[in-house]
Parts: sequence; C-alpha cells; structure tokens
Amino acid sequence: MRLSEVVLFAGFTGIGATLLLALLWAPSVSINAFESPAAQRIFYWHVPAAWAAFIAFGALFVGSAGWLFKRSEWMWRLHVAGSEAGLATGLMAVWSGCVWGAAEWGTPWDWTDVRLNSFGLLTLVAIYVVLGRNSQPDGVETRDTFAAFGLYGFALVPVTYIATRIWTIRHPGPVVATGDGNSINSDMGLVLLIGAVSFTVFIVGHMMASMRLTALEQRLERMQQTMDGGV
Amino acid sequence: MAKALLNLVDVQVRRGMNTVLDGCSMVVHGGQTVVLTGSNGAGKSTLLETAAGLLPVERGHVQHGEIVIIDAEGRRRASPSTVAVVLQRNGMLGSEILSEHLQTAMSMTGQSVSIDPFLEAFKLTHRANDLVAHLSQGQNRKVAVLAGLLPAFASPSPALVIMDEPDAGLDDESIKTLGRWMDALRSAGHALVVATHDERIMRHATHLYDVGGGEWQTQSPADAGAVKPPKPRTVKPLSPAAFGIRMHLRTMMWLNANAMAGLLTLGILLSLGDFTSDLTPTQRMGFILAPALATGLCGEPLVAALREERAGAWWRAVSGKEPHAGWIPLAIGAAFTFLTTNGLQDAREIHVVGAGAVLCFLVWHSVGWTQRSTQRLARPHAVFVGLLTPVLILPYLILVDFLA
Repeated sequence: MRLSEVVLFAGFTGIGATLLLALLWAPSVSINAFESPAAQRIFYWHVPAAWAAFIAFGALFVGSAGWLFKRSEWMWRLHVAGSEAGLATGLMAVWSGCVWGAAEWGTPWDWTDVRLNSFGLLTLVAIYVVLGRNSQPDGVETRDTFAAFGLYGFALVPVTYIATRIWTIRHPGPVVATGDGNSINSDMGLVLLIGAVSFTVFIVGHMMASMRLTALEQRLERMQQTMDGGV
Repeated sequence: MAKALLNLVDVQVRRGMNTVLDGCSMVVHGGQTVVLTGSNGAGKSTLLETAAGLLPVERGHVQHGEIVIIDAEGRRRASPSTVAVVLQRNGMLGSEILSEHLQTAMSMTGQSVSIDPFLEAFKLTHRANDLVAHLSQGQNRKVAVLAGLLPAFASPSPALVIMDEPDAGLDDESIKTLGRWMDALRSAGHALVVATHDERIMRHATHLYDVGGGEWQTQSPADAGAVKPPKPRTVKPLSPAAFGIRMHLRTMMWLNANAMAGLLTLGILLSLGDFTSDLTPTQRMGFILAPALATGLCGEPLVAALREERAGAWWRAVSGKEPHAGWIPLAIGAAFTFLTTNGLQDAREIHVVGAGAVLCFLVWHSVGWTQRSTQRLARPHAVFVGLLTPVLILPYLILVDFLA
C-alpha cells in the first residue's frame, strides 16, 4: 500500500470515528442555547471540513504561485491537488452548514452574512478552477489562466477567516481559541479535535493521492506523444 | 542600415505542453522582407504571433524599435510602430463592411489612403460595400491581406508588416499583385515578416529564415515593379470602444443575452402584481435594481463574437486592446431602471436611474473582463465563467443599501 493510500485510509477512519463519536458520545447541547440541539452535532463535521478546506486553499495558493513564478511541475501538481481537495471539503462545509442552518436558523442560507457568502464564493472559485481546467488540454495557457485564479481567489480566505470576528451577523463567532474563556465543553472539544486531526490527515492523503495521479497522467501523456511522433 | 523595427531576443515560447521556440533571436530592419521557412509545426506562426505581441514569452523579450513590447515578466507596452497583421485566420467579423474594415485597419496609423486602386487590383470593387459575411472565402482572404498591407501604405513612418500565409486561398493573379505590393512596401522602408510555403512569395524576400534550424539566408529579390505611392490623408483612429459600440448597434447582440435577461427579470417582477407597498425601502430598491443587475451579469457578448476568425487577436495585435461595449451598458441599465420604477409604480428619481446605469456598466464590464481572462485557452467557451459572477452581488447589495 502506498503512503498516500495509508494516510487517506487513516483520514477516512478518523472521519468515521468522528461521526460515531458525534452521534453517540458527544454531549448534547442545551435546548436553551440551540433551536435544534440534535442538528448541532453536524458541528463536528462542519467545522473540521471548513478547516480542511482552508488547508486545501492554502495549498492551491502555494501551488499556483509556484507554477506562475517558478514554472515548477511539482507546484502545478500541488495546484491541482489543492483545487480538488478545496472543492471537496468546501462543498462538504457548505452543504453541512446548509443542513444545519435549515434546522437551526430556519433558513439554509443568509445572503447578508459575510462568512457564509465569502466561503461560498471560495467554493465557487474552486468549482470554476476544477471544471475549467478539466475542460481544457494541458498546457501553459491552461495552467497560467487557472493558476492566476487560484492565486487571486485566495484573497477570500483571510476575509472568510476573520469574518466572524468582525461581523457576527448570522454565523456564530469562533468557539475555540477565543482567548476570552468562553470556549466549549472539554468533551465537545475532544471530539472536535479528533475531527480536525482526521480531516487534516484526510486532506493531506487526498492531496498526496491527487499529486500522484496527476504525475501519472503527465507520464501517460508524454508516452502518448512519443507514440504520436511528437516532442 | 535602416532602423531595426523588430527584435526578438533569445525568446522562448511554449504552446500547450511544447516549447515551440527556444532561444530564438531575430532582427528585422526597415527595407527588409524576411520570409520564414520550415516544415509544419516548426513554429512559423508562433514566431509571427510572438512578434505581434500576441503570445507571452517564457524567456527573452520582443522589441519594436527601441521599446520592449513584451518580456518574460509579463510586462507589456504598446508598440511605437505601426503594426499591420495578416493572421492565418482572417481577423474580421462577418458584420463588418469590406471597405469599413480596411478603413479601420488604416485608421490605427492616423492616416488613410484611397482603397480604390487596391480593390480594383484584387477585383473587389463591386464588393466594397458588402458585409464580410457575404463574401466568398477567397474574397475574405483578399480583404484580410489588404488589411495587412494598407496600414503600411498609409503609415507616415516605417511599419512592421506581419503576414502568416497571406497566399493561402489567393489565385495566381492575386499572388503576383501581392508580390508587387510587398516589394513596394520594402522599397518604401517598411519591414515585412512573412510565413509561407509558396515559392512565388519567397522570391520577394531579402532574407530567408529557417525557423526550425535558426539559419539565415540572404537573397536578391526581384525588382519592385512601379507602384505609385498613394497620397495619405489624416484620419481619426477608431478606438476599440468605438468599434465595439458600432458592432453592438449594428448586430443588436446586446439584445440577445443582456436585454433579454433584463426584460425577463422585469417581466417576472411585474407578474407578481402590486407587492411593493409591503416592502421595506431596501427590498424595494433591490427589486428596482434587479433588472439592471441581470442585464450586466450576462457579460460582454463581444468577447464570444470576436472569436470569429480570430478578430479579437487581430485587434490585440494592431491596437493592443479588444473592442468592448463602451457606454452601451449605461444606456441599457438606465433604460431598465426607468422601466422598472414605472412598472412598479415607484417614484422616478434620477439618482436611482443613474445608479442602475452605473451598476449595469460595472457588472457588464467586470464579467467581460473575466470572460477575456480565458482567451489564451484552447477551448474558452468550455469554461464556466458564470460560476464567478456571484461575487458581483456584493456591489449590488452595497448600492441597494446605500440608496435605500
């Protein structure tokens, strides 16, 4: 078994364990604090998915910059991996948030909330980059175009991150590392930590596998060009 | 020796995954006709498009005269010389009129010459006022070639003429005429760089450059036949915006996507009946500005239209910019906002109509800019630019909030 597969499997296992712990072990929340205490358990997937998405978008940024400024093949593979992982985890965060929001707020979305909308835009950028890149033949034109979007789209990440610290409109503010003593219950924190670690391991494994897949695709393309009689 | 009009310095250009030009250096002076030779795929078209400033370079730079027009850092500057271009595709829209396209090409130089002798030589006189779409392929090619030569004839200073297989689709008589014009331009001090496989064109070269091997060969071209230089007159250059507006008004392409979206949005609002009295001021303003937003979100239809015969690339080569809709979104946005306030029986306030105009203008051109960002791609139409448009809801919300 390759290292990427081991890491991916470990991540999946951790995510599965998080799900079980969230459903069966994590403490319930007060019905005075939440409209839908049962739906609150989505939190243990939703927050780690968003965290993993930030890691993926960071990789997308680094990979995009590495391709644009250094023309590094390894960095291009990182761009590809980061965009696909960002798409997967971004969508995970968005749909889990919509399900939770529908139950908790009575609406799946709030167009006035900066956190929701900036994260939604980030996910749209990831969809755009992945779908757009897959519609084109590989080449410097394709790589330059989508690496530029990967670079500029990253500007949304700090906006999304600090959004709930500055504008608490609908989406709640941070519940860990608040520095003001109003952090969550320790058991909840433990499940959240397991979720965060699991999603991190998962996203690293995902990106490793994706980079290997891209390298294999490039190798296949070179072999086909040789058979065509090309360069 | 005459001034160097084109200087490629150690240029490396990639297309797709291949390095097509690597370490290519070439200097072309006024009074020279350089013909590029080489097999298919050697990089002749790539070299010409790089010389015209259409392709980015991975290494090295491209100079026109003393000015570096493109370098490996991605910096671009406008060419100081007249650049006249004939691409492999004809570089014109079907909705252009033949004589109009030639005048447009010449206007970049600030001067114009009579096109009648040229049309007569190419047997196009009777087609001067026809749409390009109504011409045959051969006639279209003749127009494209004329659009590449006439700017040089009109130019007050030495011009750089770049031609990619100008002989393709031309009959024997037209090729002979083309050769005479090439000699006339060379004698007048212009520089010509031509890619061709046709030996009848190669005979007019002062130099042959093998793109694949990088080898130069000089030769003595045939004597230039007597071509009376036409008398130029001063004209105002046609800007990309002016051309874009002209095309929008002639073809009504703004109606197909933009106006339809605005109309449908307005129609839906009106079909809801009298609901505005129950709305807050912010909600009412949101509905009033919605058709203008919808109109702008459809983007710039010219971006897709200019892919016809690579007209957009031709514009970028000769003027540095692509045509766009200019002030048209302001008018359409104002019209829809006015109609919406009427339809929703709201007070007609000039500042609200103005806001709708500005919103439509900003959104339209922002989406157009995003659409143009895909122009280097092999299949730009396959990219879902629409996925990025939700970000433009933000200026809409800010404007609604401000006006309410």
